[in-house]
Amino acid sequence: MDNDYIAFHGTLQQLLEKVERGEVIPKLQASHAPPCKFWTAFMVINGIRHTAPLIHGPTGCTYSVANAYKMRSCEYRGVPLEPTTCTALDETNVVYGGEGKLIEAVKEADKKYHPDLIVILSCCCSGIIGDDVETIARETESIVNARVIAIRSEGFGGDFRSGYEDAFRAIMQLMEPPKEKMKETINILGARIGPTYTEWTMDLEEVERLVHAIGVKINAVIAGGCTVEQIRRAPEVELNASWCYDWGQKIGDLMEEKYGIPYSRTGQPYGLRATEEWIMGVAKPLGLEKRAEKVIEEETKQVRHEVGYLRQIFNGKTAIVEITEFPGPIRALSLARMAEEFGAHPIVMNIHPYTIKERMPSIKFLLEQGQNPEVVLTKGLFSLGTFQSSRETEDELERIAAEYDNAIYLGNPERYPNIPVVNLTVQTGYPQYGYQGIRNIARLIKSATENASRPRSRLFRQVLYGN
Amino acid sequence: MTLTIDRCHDPYIRCAFYGAAQTVLGISGCCTLAHSPQGCHMLVDTAFSWQDEDYTETQTLCTKLCEDEIVYGGENILARTILEAKSLNIPVVFVLSTCGPEIVGDDIVTVCEEIQPKVNFKVIPIECAGFRGSQYDGVDIALDILLKKLTVNDRQKIANSVCLIAPHANANPSWMGDLAWVKNVLSEMGARVVATLTHRTALSEFENVSAAETSIVLSHDAGQKAADYLAKKFGVEQLCRDIPLPIGFTNTQQWLAKLGDVFNAKDIAENLVAKGEKMVVERCRRKWLELYPFHLEPVAIVADATIGVPLFRFVTEELEAIPKLIYLRSSQKTAENILEKELQELNLSPRVAYHTDVYQTKKSLEEVKPQAVFGSEIEKYAVEDLDIPLVFELVNPITSFRIFDREYFGYTGMLNLLEIIQNSYWDQYRSKLRRYKARW
Repeated sequence: MDNDYIAFHGTLQQLLEKVERGEVIPKLQASHAPPCKFWTAFMVINGIRHTAPLIHGPTGCTYSVANAYKMRSCEYRGVPLEPTTCTALDETNVVYGGEGKLIEAVKEADKKYHPDLIVILSCCCSGIIGDDVETIARETESIVNARVIAIRSEGFGGDFRSGYEDAFRAIMQLMEPPKEKMKETINILGARIGPTYTEWTMDLEEVERLVHAIGVKINAVIAGGCTVEQIRRAPEVELNASWCYDWGQKIGDLMEEKYGIPYSRTGQPYGLRATEEWIMGVAKPLGLEKRAEKVIEEETKQVRHEVGYLRQIFNGKTAIVEITEFPGPIRALSLARMAEEFGAHPIVMNIHPYTIKERMPSIKFLLEQGQNPEVVLTKGLFSLGTFQSSRETEDELERIAAEYDNAIYLGNPERYPNIPVVNLTVQTGYPQYGYQGIRNIARLIKSATENASRPRSRLFRQVLYGN
Repeated sequence: MTLTIDRCHDPYIRCAFYGAAQTVLGISGCCTLAHSPQGCHMLVDTAFSWQDEDYTETQTLCTKLCEDEIVYGGENILARTILEAKSLNIPVVFVLSTCGPEIVGDDIVTVCEEIQPKVNFKVIPIECAGFRGSQYDGVDIALDILLKKLTVNDRQKIANSVCLIAPHANANPSWMGDLAWVKNVLSEMGARVVATLTHRTALSEFENVSAAETSIVLSHDAGQKAADYLAKKFGVEQLCRDIPLPIGFTNTQQWLAKLGDVFNAKDIAENLVAKGEKMVVERCRRKWLELYPFHLEPVAIVADATIGVPLFRFVTEELEAIPKLIYLRSSQKTAENILEKELQELNLSPRVAYHTDVYQTKKSLEEVKPQAVFGSEIEKYAVEDLDIPLVFELVNPITSFRIFDREYFGYTGMLNLLEIIQNSYWDQYRSKLRRYKARW
């Protein structure tokens, strides 16, 4: 491969080692910023019903997360509008402290909203001035009806990942030691974003369908529309599973450590093999292998045409999976694994070293599972300026695609590298998980291969890349 | 009348940092640098969209402060990031500081001063931490700095010239339509807009600000301080200060008449009014005006002051409804005075609140029980369980994406409002039930 635009070319394992040795800087450029830990902590607790988030800070952080997540849930997920409150800290509070105001705010939130749970989230202001949100949560819990917990989520305190993890850790406080076991019942872990299921509702619905098909019940999807009562009883299940290993891993590990609940460590169920692993990962610890095998056999039979088609299409091809814009690193690695299962040689393009650092435990888990795809990072990935970076990586993708006779691109239609482009971003293409996912992906690939020679829309190209 | 700032507050608006970002992003080809943790950058992204910025032209950067910078200070990383911006070929970098660095005492003003000689673009610091106030305060903070840093003193006055202030502090989601309408009527009256603060504003426009004879604040939520500054510093006379913005027949007529007087264009103003009113009436007659839903019906207005204050008269006079509640998201003294005057003139005494929050709005709507709310998506969901049949989504937040800028100001603005209202009215009564199955 011509290397004037290549920043790294090797395997995922080699990239991980480089990051660990500090040979590549695992920081995003100044023009690229994911949310801070406040946003991601909020995303998790927003998935618990009848919760009053109480942000100990100014209105900017508060309205922004309310607008981004609450309103979306109302618009698209059929949930009622619930409060997103704050102490509206001002200059005086910053100088003299805001603890008194926070105590009053907890009482007021309880009185106004009658929530099951009040979650105090600190932000930069309250974090720096040293307001002790955890003690206030403990002390106010005895004087209000709701449960009260606190998350130290000041934006500077960590990256987006630490917000998820700290929020899941805080949720653990709502759990009580098991009094009994709920037979053949599991929790699904790692959901976030909304009072209904996580960002791709349909993927989770497919997972639930498969769980129910083998006769297993679900106590709670944590935190995707669960109640405080479901969380309280979460340690009574026999097993935890995740909708995405990456997001479920922290709370799965914590619950295993504290309550001895086994956690099914499986990747995302893309393709036949990963789906089988996911189902058996739930069935085996519960002693339900036979039922699960039957379900797998029946479901596999029903998608045999699609599987045959996928094998025919992928066989001998190079599958370029690019994650700069979509679908996110863990999903990209899952797609790469699926492409390999069906006979392709996957190349994962532009998985940023930042992602490797942030998702280190999950990346290591996937490597242990034998997923070690070829990885290419291009120079455009590191360009300052989001548009600049996007335009450069498009050009670089086109150059990479041109080097293969028989390539297929799995990603999003913002890219158009003169090879079949499989549009994995279309809402009607979900779920991508499980057997229904195999059907959907086969449909998307069929459209991509049958229409591969169609030209890029001039409108789209000029809007996206200015040329 | 109540003014609410609860200890437990469910806000309608963002913070000062956001308002400042909105304001500087109205300057063409600029680059913003948020000196902040990365979450604050999400607010810059939102402000970017609010100003309809183009990602091929405008850059947004962030120092992405972490614990180290909060403990040891973030001035070095700020200086490094400004130097990095050299590769972007930009005329100006606005450095916006947020809560974290301001509390720990990062001196962004000195950093910017020291680094200025090393770069070939302007570096302008704006201290606009979120705790300094609401997004409207942020607009005022940014305008203050822009005027002090970018204007020049010695410009000769240009006849019939106007400086437009704070067009973006307007919760019409396509407020650019309002701005375009204003520019159009000024042009018809022979007035010249020498600067717009801010939307697609060239840096060079700031040099013309002192040449303006007059200013118009296009918001009842922000911008008054900038107008006061211009009046004091450059003798720029503020127009239409004490009257509602031009929504509805009366407000528009009054507003145009004032401008006509100032710009010696009385005939033109009268002609605009006559033609505009005729156009609205004829259009409504031909397209059929849905007048039944409102006659003497109790209604509520929940909005920013920019839309909410003038909407009061439109709803009362044109729609014959009876406003029983007016809840506004901000409180600027001039806006409060205008609304007080309007209430007296129209002889109505609705419940009024400034700085409202979502809880207060919902509870008051529950008590007042209007038949319709002129508001936003928030009210649509907040009143779901309150047996209030109609919510017209006029102001932000509204999820629907709009390709076109639709003004609420002026005569086409009236038609735009009527169209939203009528469509929502009929949507509400669309049957979701099919009583029997078709045979084909």
